Amino acid sequence: MAAARRISFLSARMSRPVETSKPRLAAGCRVGDLPGQTTLLLIPEGAFELNGPGVRIVSACDGERTFREIVRMLQQEYRSADPDRIEQETADLLERLHLRRVVDF
Amino acid sequence: MNGPLSLIAEITHRCPLHCVYCSNPFVMSGKVDELSTQTWIDVFQQAAAMGVLQVDLTGGEPVARADLVELVSAARESGLYVNLITSGIGLSPEKLEQLAWARLDHVQLSFQDSDAAPGDEIAGATVHARKLEIAQEIRRYRMGFTVNIVVHRHNLERLPQMIAMAAEAGAHKVEIAHVQYYGWAFRNRENLLPTRGQLDSSREVIQAAQARLEGRMRIDYVVPDYYAKFPKACMGGWGRKTMLITPSGEALPCHAAKIIPEMRFENVREQKLGQIWQESDSFRRFRGEAWMPEPCRSCDRRTRDFGGCRCQAFLLTGDSHATDPACSLAPAHKEVEEIVQLVNASHSSARERAQAASAPRASWEYRQNPR
Repeated sequence: MAAARRISFLSARMSRPVETSKPRLAAGCRVGDLPGQTTLLLIPEGAFELNGPGVRIVSACDGERTFREIVRMLQQEYRSADPDRIEQETADLLERLHLRRVVDF
Repeated sequence: MNGPLSLIAEITHRCPLHCVYCSNPFVMSGKVDELSTQTWIDVFQQAAAMGVLQVDLTGGEPVARADLVELVSAARESGLYVNLITSGIGLSPEKLEQLAWARLDHVQLSFQDSDAAPGDEIAGATVHARKLEIAQEIRRYRMGFTVNIVVHRHNLERLPQMIAMAAEAGAHKVEIAHVQYYGWAFRNRENLLPTRGQLDSSREVIQAAQARLEGRMRIDYVVPDYYAKFPKACMGGWGRKTMLITPSGEALPCHAAKIIPEMRFENVREQKLGQIWQESDSFRRFRGEAWMPEPCRSCDRRTRDFGGCRCQAFLLTGDSHATDPACSLAPAHKEVEEIVQLVNASHSSARERAQAASAPRASWEYRQNPR
């Protein structure tokens, strides 16, 4: 029982980005091409609807920018929002997408 | 009525395999009846304009079409996300390279088993080794890669090995799909249906594998509705999410709909997709709730399962309006119960299985090719 819990704790940790992580959209995952699709993240036989910040986050996942750089970028774009919340929610979204095998880092 | 989100493009019924669970209809389109390249391209453009997000290029074996790369390219150009549903047979490194260049988004590669002998028996062709080679080729390209494995009584014991095979092949996702009993699968139903014991062990194997492989490979599991209490929300509801186009251009709400005798289907050669979707009798027939008999009409679940599967209702009762017999509340539920009981009685004990294994092999009805 303890072993099972430890394993899931580990995988949860590995699913959360760290400062130097370079998140990248997984193969076969992309934002929609057409004007009506730009808030959609298309994946094999499925789609996620993203809100405004979600689109920005996902578009920034190019495998070059670090998590820290992405958070800084968002904190500058959304100046009135609480910077800690931005970091937390960005990490939350990336973790969710990682568990769905949509973002790698 | 909101437009469809996905288009299933059955671009050919030709196929080098003869899988005993194929869901293609018995009456298939021959090569001469197939839509031209240009007609398909027009279909893709219409679909994208209607708000369709994704297209599945399937068949038969879509790779059998000489214009596949052109179709992928055109579908992508029109703004669709492109999935290729293939056996892998007919693909070459060169073709894969061309498909990657044409911006194919995702490949779903089928396997029949983890072992060549039983896999090739189900496929009716020597293909397993080639599929493994093709899997290695696919992973060289940056596209989504899913392995699809149809499971049934004869391969469920190798479920752990099949999952391991998919992981080793580099799949991002493996779809473990229980046979759905349409087309050839219906004819081979008694040979394919799993036992209750197999279903229970499979569930455990799946859950353990999902936990072990979390973040590395997704495992999607589709259960057989013959064992469910309630029916599946077939296609996400009749005429709600998906439009299927056959090789000869007929627009269907699902791959099996042509078995329903009183239905007339429109053809994309003659009508626009939008008009077919909104106004055709075939797409409107089982939308909403007005068509539902009791108990569906007053059932709480009707907004979740949309009354189950019309084709299955027709297959099992002769009435396309009937409550889906997979539902435990269906008057005709015994149609499903009886075959489930028959299979469990004949195949459950280890001694009976051993006897069956030494007896002459079950005779399969293999999928035929269209002329």
